[in-house]
Amino acid sequence: MALAELALALKLGDNQLRDFMDWCEEIALRDGVTMAALLMGKELDNIATDPRLGRADRVKKIKEWLRRLRFPRLAQTEDEVHGKIRALKLQPEIRLSVPPGLEGGRLEIHFSVTNQEDFKRLAKKLSAAADSGASGEIFALLGGAASSNESA
Amino acid sequence: MQNFQPEEVIVERGSEASPIYRNLQRSLPDVRFRVVDDIASANGSGDFGSAKKKLYLAKHKGEFFKKCPGSEGQVCCNYFVINFASNCPMDCSYCYLQEYLADNAALKVFSNVGDLIDEADATLKKHRGLFFRIGTGEITDSLALEPFTGMVREILPYFAQQPNVLLELKTKSDCVDGLLDLDPKGRVVVGWSMNPQRVIDADEHGTASLTERLNAAKRVQEGGYRLGFHFDPMIEYPGWEVDYAAMLDQTFATIDWRKLSWVSLGVLRDTPGLKRTMRERFPRSQLLTGEQVVCPDGKLRYFQPLRVDMYRKMVGWIRRAAPTVKIYLCMESREVWQQVFGFAPSCEKELGNQFADFGF
Repeated sequence: MALAELALALKLGDNQLRDFMDWCEEIALRDGVTMAALLMGKELDNIATDPRLGRADRVKKIKEWLRRLRFPRLAQTEDEVHGKIRALKLQPEIRLSVPPGLEGGRLEIHFSVTNQEDFKRLAKKLSAAADSGASGEIFALLGGAASSNESA
Repeated sequence: MQNFQPEEVIVERGSEASPIYRNLQRSLPDVRFRVVDDIASANGSGDFGSAKKKLYLAKHKGEFFKKCPGSEGQVCCNYFVINFASNCPMDCSYCYLQEYLADNAALKVFSNVGDLIDEADATLKKHRGLFFRIGTGEITDSLALEPFTGMVREILPYFAQQPNVLLELKTKSDCVDGLLDLDPKGRVVVGWSMNPQRVIDADEHGTASLTERLNAAKRVQEGGYRLGFHFDPMIEYPGWEVDYAAMLDQTFATIDWRKLSWVSLGVLRDTPGLKRTMRERFPRSQLLTGEQVVCPDGKLRYFQPLRVDMYRKMVGWIRRAAPTVKIYLCMESREVWQQVFGFAPSCEKELGNQFADFGF
């Protein structure tokens, strides 16, 4: 699928198209492939032609697919951090999040309570989570420890 | 280092009395000099690359002496700058001047050296209790034009006599011949921007090789100058660790690290606008492919866990060879300082005071 064809089919705006083009060019330059080869892949075709997706979801999915190709190590680190957040089993009562692109190295914690008992209960859960190995691993990843699948 | 020879020197009328004009005439006997009334009208409309081919000599009408703007929200190292020239004869593909000087790209040297010294003198004398770390390499390379302009030879004797100054000459050149018979009196640091030869070959066009830089550093160190090294911008690519570790080995095998004033680290930084220019001017540069994200100050950097890992490795390799050398991060957030060193300066004054200690 050519980029122009994709852009027309998805009705991409100028900024979106420019981001798509830049990322495609950069992936092609890094991997030594042509943009045509990149855009002819089966994975992209599957998303672009998935009948279950509306236009907006299709753009979102393609953008995420392209982002993961463009930023593979960032995406992998984000996946690992999110996996460890899930392993803490705090959600949905306590929501943990990291900033986009992991910039800032911070773990943000959101929860709300309406009474003291709930406050105590969630604080206890949080305290146990803070002592767990998974939370240490989250901060290690945010602080530059290599992700587990990264090649040496 | 690639020899630089301007196609023409364009002189703003009134600058002929400057010592810089005299130096240029002596060092460029075969180059045409043209005196014009209005330098603005003589500025070509060429692109950034072609602007480097002509050399302009003109009076600087603004302030010479300024606080380094730093980068919003990042830890500041309390640096001051003196701009005695604008633009640079070398052509690094990541150079931020491509964006910063996009509308005023002429390669320009300023003729009113007396005004520069008067301005600096007024500030330095008024604030003798403050320590000033002053750089001359913000919008030019401090030494690349020195064989022609002799600018540093004109200003160095003044700064070497000031009790509250460290003057830093930051360069990617090996143009140090003109410094060797001067007495820096311990007040002058020659700072090299360093990268492995692979990065120099790919993205630091027209600069001195790594070995040329180190040989020049050795010569000035033997001539009584302090040294600084800026491993900045560090570039991440497959195998970067091997190249950077080898560069550090070569560096510390060549110079005496005990006489190093400081080492700075910084990763590749650009902006979306600069990246667009880089894409036009250097479309094959692999710098475009790094995993950079937009940071709160609007600059693109490698994503934080990746660059913290790079900094930690560099600090480890440097410490192995030079255990007590002072290392700082350029344009990084407090969070990154904390992750790399386990501390962050409490304020810019603290970091500035540390530099005062580094120097003396």
